[in-house]
Amino acid sequence: METTDSPVVTSLHQSDKNEMQSENNIDSITEVEDHMTLPRIERSKETKLLDTLTENNSNPRYLPVDIQKEEAVVFDVSETVKAPEDGGHEDSGEFVVAMLARGKLEEQDVCKRISPPILETSLEASTHWDEDVTAETWRQHRKHVFVLSEAGKPIYSRYGSEEALSSTMGVMMALVSFIQSGDNVIRSVYSDEHTVVFMQQGPLVLVSVSSTRQSEQQLRNELLYVYNQIVSMLTQASITRIFEHKKNYDLRRLLAGSEKILDGLLNLVDFDPSFLLSAVHCLPIASSFRDSLSQILQKAITPNLVFSILIAKNQLLTIAQEKMVIEDAKLDPSDLHLLLNLIGASSAFQAGEIWTPICLPSFNPDCYFYAYISYLDPPECTVCLLLLSTDNEAFYAVAECKRKIEEAMQAQNALTSIAKAQSYSVSQVGVSDLRHFMYKPFDVPDNHHQLTQFTSPEMEAPYDSEEEKMRLLDLYRDMHGRIHNTSRPLKLIYHVGLRETLLAWVTTKFELYTCFSPLVTKSCAINAITKLLRWVKKEEDRLFIRYPPKYSTTPNASKS
Amino acid sequence: MSDNEVKNGTSRNMLERCASVNEYFDISFKVMLLGDSAVGKTCVLVRFKDGAFLGGNFIATVGIDFRNKVVTVDNMKVKLQIWDTAGQERFRSVTHAYYRDAQALLLLYDITRKSSFDNIRAWLTEIHEYAQKDVVIMLLGNKSDMAAERVIKPEDGQKLAKEYGVPFMETSAKTGVNVELAFLAIARELKHRAAQQPHEPKFQIHDYIESQKQKSNCCGALM
Repeated sequence: METTDSPVVTSLHQSDKNEMQSENNIDSITEVEDHMTLPRIERSKETKLLDTLTENNSNPRYLPVDIQKEEAVVFDVSETVKAPEDGGHEDSGEFVVAMLARGKLEEQDVCKRISPPILETSLEASTHWDEDVTAETWRQHRKHVFVLSEAGKPIYSRYGSEEALSSTMGVMMALVSFIQSGDNVIRSVYSDEHTVVFMQQGPLVLVSVSSTRQSEQQLRNELLYVYNQIVSMLTQASITRIFEHKKNYDLRRLLAGSEKILDGLLNLVDFDPSFLLSAVHCLPIASSFRDSLSQILQKAITPNLVFSILIAKNQLLTIAQEKMVIEDAKLDPSDLHLLLNLIGASSAFQAGEIWTPICLPSFNPDCYFYAYISYLDPPECTVCLLLLSTDNEAFYAVAECKRKIEEAMQAQNALTSIAKAQSYSVSQVGVSDLRHFMYKPFDVPDNHHQLTQFTSPEMEAPYDSEEEKMRLLDLYRDMHGRIHNTSRPLKLIYHVGLRETLLAWVTTKFELYTCFSPLVTKSCAINAITKLLRWVKKEEDRLFIRYPPKYSTTPNASKS
Repeated sequence: MSDNEVKNGTSRNMLERCASVNEYFDISFKVMLLGDSAVGKTCVLVRFKDGAFLGGNFIATVGIDFRNKVVTVDNMKVKLQIWDTAGQERFRSVTHAYYRDAQALLLLYDITRKSSFDNIRAWLTEIHEYAQKDVVIMLLGNKSDMAAERVIKPEDGQKLAKEYGVPFMETSAKTGVNVELAFLAIARELKHRAAQQPHEPKFQIHDYIESQKQKSNCCGALM
C-alpha cells in the first residue's frame, strides 16, 4: 500500500564497496518495522483498497534515535537497495497498464498519506529569521532546508536563524562525516513523519527535512535547485576556490542579502509545478503576436548579447537566443527558473534598470553572464525584459537595446496586448469532468535546442484556495514520484481518490497529469484525455513557443 | 511646504515617471552610491527620487540599479544618472567596472553600526584605485533619526571626512533630513565644474553645504 519504495537509508555508489553487513543490522530493520505497525494500521482504516496487487513494497521507516543507531541502519543499505530492484522493476509499467485493462482501479489514500498541507503560515514568503527554533511550531514546518559547509558551518536555513541552528547543523555534519569515514555516503533517513535527504555538492552539504511524503528523488531535485541558486550567485568555481583556500569560511558573508532569493525559491518550488516538471510555462498568446515580439527582440541586439527574454506575469512570452552559443549548449529550464525566481524574489528590480552578474549553473557553472533586468510597464511591473550578455561592461549597449525594444513595443501597442493575455481556463478545453491538467510535450520541433515547456490551465475551484492548491500539487507530486520512481518506473497511473480522480500518463511523446471530478468513470477519463490531446494539438501554436527565434551577435562567441 | 510635498509624493512621482522617458535636460552626470550592505543606499535614493521611505523589510539591491532624476540648478536642468550599488562583496567586481564612469560618489555608512564606519577607509582606498581622479566624493552618515542606537558621533564622521578632504553630512532616509541637500550639492558642484570659466571663482561645496545645512535645519528638507 505504500508506494514509495525507498529503502531506509540509501547510500550512493560507494555502497557496493561497503561489505560490512553485521547481523545487528537485520535486527534494526525488524525493529524499524515494528515501529511502523501502529501508524500503518491507522492509515489502512481509511483506505479503500480495490486492488492490493498493485504494489506491495513495504516501506520500512526508521525513527532516528541516536547516531549509534544510524550507523546500524546505514550499513543495511546495500541490501535494502537491491530488494525493490529485484522485486518489481521489470514488470512495472506494463503491469499497471494491464491492470487498468482488467478494469481494476487502483486506490490509495494519497490524501491521507500526504501530511496536512498547511498547518503553519509558511506559505507567505515572510521572514523566519527570528523564529524560535526550539518551538514546536518550528518543528512542524512542512519542509525544512538547511545548507552548511563541510566544516559544519551554517550557511542557510529556511526557517529560523542559522546561528541558532548551528548545533543542529553540527549534528547533520557529524552524520555526514561519520558515514563518510566508513567510505560511504548518507543519502536519506526515513522516520514516521519525516524524510531527511542529504546531498553533498562540492564543499556544501544540503539537507531537506520534509513531512510532505515527496519522493527522495523529488526532494533531491529541490536541493539541487537550492544549490544551483547559490551557484548562480557565486559560481561553482569560486565556491570551490574559497573553501580550498579556507575550509571554515563563512559563506554567508558572500551570500548576504540573498536569503530572500533562497526563501523565494523554496516557496516557488512548493507552489509552482514548473520545478517538478523541469519545464517552462509559457503565457498563451496568438502565435502571430509571439512572432512579432520575437522579431522585436531579434532586432535589438548588440555584441555579446546571448539571451533576450521577455516575461509577463512570471511566465515566458518569448526568448531569443544567440545562434552560436545555443549550438554549444542549450538553455536548461532550471536555469530559467532560477532567473525567474531571482526576478520575482526581489522587489528591488521594480524601480530602475538592474545590471548584475549571474551564473546559469546548468549552462556553465563556472562563468558569469551579466543580466540586464528592467520592467517595461512601471509601476505595474508585470512585463519584464531580461537581456543576458557575456560582457561585464556592456551595460550601456544593452540598455540601448532595451530602448529599442521599448520603442518598437510602443509602436505596436504591444504592452496593451500583453496585459490582455492570460492563462486559460480548463473549461476552454470543453471536456466535462476535467478539472485541471499539466501537459509536457516531447515531440517538439528542433527538440535538441528547445526549452522544455509545459502547459497547464489556471487552478480553479475547488482548487482556488491555497490549501486546496497545495493538496492538488501534492497529489501531482505523488503521481510524479511514482511515475518516475527510479527502481520501479510506471507509465500510467489511474488513481481514484475521495475528492478527485487522477490519471498520469507518460509516453515518448508527452507527459500528462490530469485531474477529474471523483465521479468520472475510467472510460470517460480515457475519452477525455483523447479530447484533451486533440485540443492541445490544435492550440499548440498558442500554448508553446514552437520555433524559438535566434540571432547572431557574437562572431567570437567561442571565446566566452 | 516640504511636508506637503512628501505627502503628495506618490501621485506627483507617478507623473514624473511617465514623463521621464523623454524628459528634457541640459546636462547629465553619473552619480554612484557606495557603502556597506544595509547602510541605506537604496533608501536614500528612493527618498530623493520619490520622496518616500522604504520601511519594513530590508530588500538587498542586486548588482547595480540605474535610475535617473532631473533636478534644477540655477535654472538649468541637470539629469542625475544614479547608480545604486549592492553593498555585498560578491557584487564588487561589477561595481568596480562602473566606478570610473561616475563623476560623483556618495559614500554612506550607518551611524548605528561601527563596522560600516570602519569600512569607510577601505571604500576610500577602492575609490582611489578605480574611480576617476577628480571624482566628487561625499561622505554621508545615514540613519541620523536613530538617536538611541547611535554609535558613531557626528564629530567622528566630520573628522574622517576632513582627513580625506571630502564634504560630510548626516542624513536620514526615514525623515528626509539632508537627503535632497546631498544630491543637490553634488549636482551644483558638477554643474559648476562643467560650466566653469577660467576666471570664475571655484564653487565651494563645503561652504555651500554648511550654509544650506543651517537654513534647512528648521524644516528638515531643502528646496
